[in-house]
Amino acid sequence: MTLTYVLMQNLRRNPLRSGLTAVAFALPMGVFVVAISLVVLLIQIGEIAEKELRLATRNKTSLTSMLPEGHRRKIEGLDPNRERLRAVCGMRWFGGRIPGEPNALTSLAADPDTFPIVYSDVGMTADDIAAWNAKRTAAVIGRGYADQYRWAVGDRLVLQSTVPPYLELEFHVVKIIENKERANVFYLRRDYLDESLLAAGEEAGRCNIFWTKCNSAAALRSLQAEIDENFANSPEETKSEDENAFGANFMQAGGDLPGLMRTMAFVVLYIVALVAGNTMVMSFRERTREIAVFKAIGFQSRRIFTIVLAESTLLALVGALCGVVPTAIGLTLFPMTQLRIGPLATIEVSPIAVVASLVIAVLVGLAAGLWPAYQALRLRTVDALRRIA
Amino acid sequence: MALPLSYHWRHLFVRKTTTLLTTLVIAAVVAVFTWMVGFDGALRDSLATAHDDQKVLVMRRGATAETNSAIPIEDFNKLNQLNGLARDAANEPLLSPEMMAQTSRPRIRDGGKTWGNVAVRGVTEIAFKVHTNVKLTGAMFKPGAREVIVGQNAAKQFAGLNVGNRLMLGYGSDRDYVVVGHFSADGGPAESEIWGYLPSLMNAWKRTTYSSTALRVNPSVGADAVIEQIRGPAIQLEAQTEGAYWREQTRTILLYLRVTRVLILAMAVAAVFSIANTMFAMVAGRTREIAMLRTIGYGRRQILLGFVVESLLLSLLGGLMGCLACAAWLGGVGNTKDMFGASTFTTLAFEIKLSPLSLAAALACVVAVGILGALFPARRAAAIPVVAALREE
Repeated sequence: MTLTYVLMQNLRRNPLRSGLTAVAFALPMGVFVVAISLVVLLIQIGEIAEKELRLATRNKTSLTSMLPEGHRRKIEGLDPNRERLRAVCGMRWFGGRIPGEPNALTSLAADPDTFPIVYSDVGMTADDIAAWNAKRTAAVIGRGYADQYRWAVGDRLVLQSTVPPYLELEFHVVKIIENKERANVFYLRRDYLDESLLAAGEEAGRCNIFWTKCNSAAALRSLQAEIDENFANSPEETKSEDENAFGANFMQAGGDLPGLMRTMAFVVLYIVALVAGNTMVMSFRERTREIAVFKAIGFQSRRIFTIVLAESTLLALVGALCGVVPTAIGLTLFPMTQLRIGPLATIEVSPIAVVASLVIAVLVGLAAGLWPAYQALRLRTVDALRRIA
Repeated sequence: MALPLSYHWRHLFVRKTTTLLTTLVIAAVVAVFTWMVGFDGALRDSLATAHDDQKVLVMRRGATAETNSAIPIEDFNKLNQLNGLARDAANEPLLSPEMMAQTSRPRIRDGGKTWGNVAVRGVTEIAFKVHTNVKLTGAMFKPGAREVIVGQNAAKQFAGLNVGNRLMLGYGSDRDYVVVGHFSADGGPAESEIWGYLPSLMNAWKRTTYSSTALRVNPSVGADAVIEQIRGPAIQLEAQTEGAYWREQTRTILLYLRVTRVLILAMAVAAVFSIANTMFAMVAGRTREIAMLRTIGYGRRQILLGFVVESLLLSLLGGLMGCLACAAWLGGVGNTKDMFGASTFTTLAFEIKLSPLSLAAALACVVAVGILGALFPARRAAAIPVVAALREE
C-alpha cells in the first residue's frame, strides 16, 4: 500500500467534502494569482527602472508647474565631463486626446536629440532614430495605444491637447514601443510643439520635467542632491527623484490598486489556510479510530504524520490548480485592457505568478495539516480505540 | 413547533474548532465586504454633496477638468449677461471666478514617502455664496494678505496643513503663505482643497486668466436653460452642473470598485462553500441524533429549518467578528483614502465610515452566505430515513 494510494482513497472517501474544499480553496486562489501577478509586475517594473538609472527633476510645487528649458543646460553644466550623467531630456505634457473622445492619452513632448539616449530601453534602432529626427511630426507610441486605436508605423493621426492652449496637432508614427511597462505612452517632439505654440502666439520654451540618464546609482544619488541644491531658493525650485519614487506617486492613481492587491493577497492566504485547516480537522476527527487501528497494526507514528500532512498538501494543491489554472487561462484569453494603472495596460498572469501561487498553496496546505498531523502523531492508540466516535 | 434556539446555539460549541475556523473564514469575507461597502458609500457621499443641481461649473470649451481650463477675463465678463443667475441680497449676481492650481504635499499615512497633488483654488468672497456647503471652522483669509484656508480632509491627509503652518505656493517671489483656518464642505470634494484669495494666488502662479467659474442658478429658471445659454454662440463656453462634473471625474475610481467587487464576490462564494462543508460534516455526524428528533415528532421541515438556523447563527457570529475587525482596521490603520483624478491631476480625499448602510449590507451578506451554505446540507438532514439512521452507528 503506497502513500499515494492511501491519499487518493482518503480523498475519494468523501468526494463531497473534497469537492467543496477544492472549490472553497480554488476561488480565493484565483483571486490570489491575479493579485500576485500585479505585485510581481510592479516589482519587475521597479527593477527595470532601477537599471535604467533615470532621474526625474520637476518643479517642487507640483508636476504641473513648468520649469524653463534653460534648466537643462544648467543640469548638464553640473557635470561637464559627463562622468555622472549621460544626457538630459526635457519633457512637456501635451495631454492629447483624439478629437471627440473624452480621455487624454499620456502624451509627452520630448527633446528630440536626447530622447533616444535617455530612453535607450525603448529600443530605437538607427533607422528609427533617423526617422524621428527627420520628421518634425514624428511620434513614438506604445503597443497598448497602437492596439487600442489601431495605429501602425507610418500612420498619420491628429491629437488635440487638453491643456491650454488646446492645440490640435498632426503626427506620424515612426516607432511602436514593445516594452510592457511603456504600453500606454505617446512621445512627440518638443521642438515641434514649441514651434506650434509660438505660431499660436503662446509662450514656448518650458518643460514639466527633466529626465537625466545617469551612469551609476551613486552618480544618480549625488546628482539628485546637487540638482535640487542648485535650484534651491530660486524662483523655479526643483524636486528630483528616481524613476521608482516618481512612479510610486502615480500608482496612487485610481485608489492605490497595488495596495488593495497586497491586502487581498493576505486575506486570501488567511481564508484558504482556514478552509484547508477546517477540512483537515473535520476529516481527522472522523478518522480517529481508523488511525488508531493503523497504529495498532504497526504503522509508525511518523508514517501517520506524513500521511495526514501529505493529504492536506494534496488537497491544497488540487484546489490551487483548480483556481489558478482557469484564472491564468482566462486572463490570457480575455485580458482586461481597460485597466490603466500607471504604465500598465493589463494584468498579465506571468508564469512566475502561477508558480508562486502554487508553491504558496502547498505551503498553506502543509501549515493547515500540521495540527491534525501532530494530533495523529500523539494519538494514544488504546484511548482512541475505546472512543465511539 | 420549531426546534429550540438554545439547541442550535449549544450545538455550535460541541465542535469548537470547526465552529471557530468556519466563523473566521466568514469574518474575513464580511470584513472585506463591509470595508468595500464603506468605501463605495464614502465615495458616493462625497460626490452626493457635490451634487448641487443649482450650481453650474463653467470651463473653457475642450477642457476636461477645471485644472486644465483657462477662461480669459473678457469671456468671464460675458457671463454677467446671463439670464437666470441667482442674485444675493445686494442684487449682485452669484458668479464666482476661480483659479485652479496644484501643490505637492507629503501624505501623512505613509509618513511622507509619497506625495500627492492638493488642489489650490483662488476665490473671492462671493465664492462662499455660490458654494453654500462650505463652512468655515476657523478664521477666514484676509483679502490681500498671503493667507489660505484648508479643507478638513486635505488637512487630515496631507502634512503641514494645520493652522499656523506656512507653505510655499506658486512660483516666483512672494510665495510664502500661512494657513489661518480650516473649512468643511459636507465631506464633498471641496474639503480636499486649499482656498486662497484669487488675485493673490493668480499673482503667485503668474496667471492672467481664470480657470473656471462657479455660478448659482435662479431656481425658477433652472440649470439647463442657463447651461444652454453658456454653450450658445454668445458666450461659447462649456458648462455642467456640479453633479455631472464630478461623476465624470470619478470614472476611473468606478473601475477600481468594479475590480474590488469581483474579488469579494469570489471570496464570498468561497465562504458559502466553506459553510456548506462544515454543515455537511455536522449533518453526517449527527445522523442518529436527527433520527431521534424525528422519532420524537419533529417533522422534516422543522429539521431543515433547524439546520438553516444553525448555519445562520454560525455566519452571524462570523459576521459580528468581521464587522468588529473592519471597524478596528478603519480605526487603527486609518480610514482616510484619497483618489487621484487623472484629469483633475489632484487628489480627492474622503473618509470611510461604518455607516448604518454598510452594517446593513454586512448583515445581508451574512444572511445570504448562511442560508446559501446551509441549503443542501439541511435538505440532506431532512431526508434522513429515520429507522435506518437509528440503526446506524
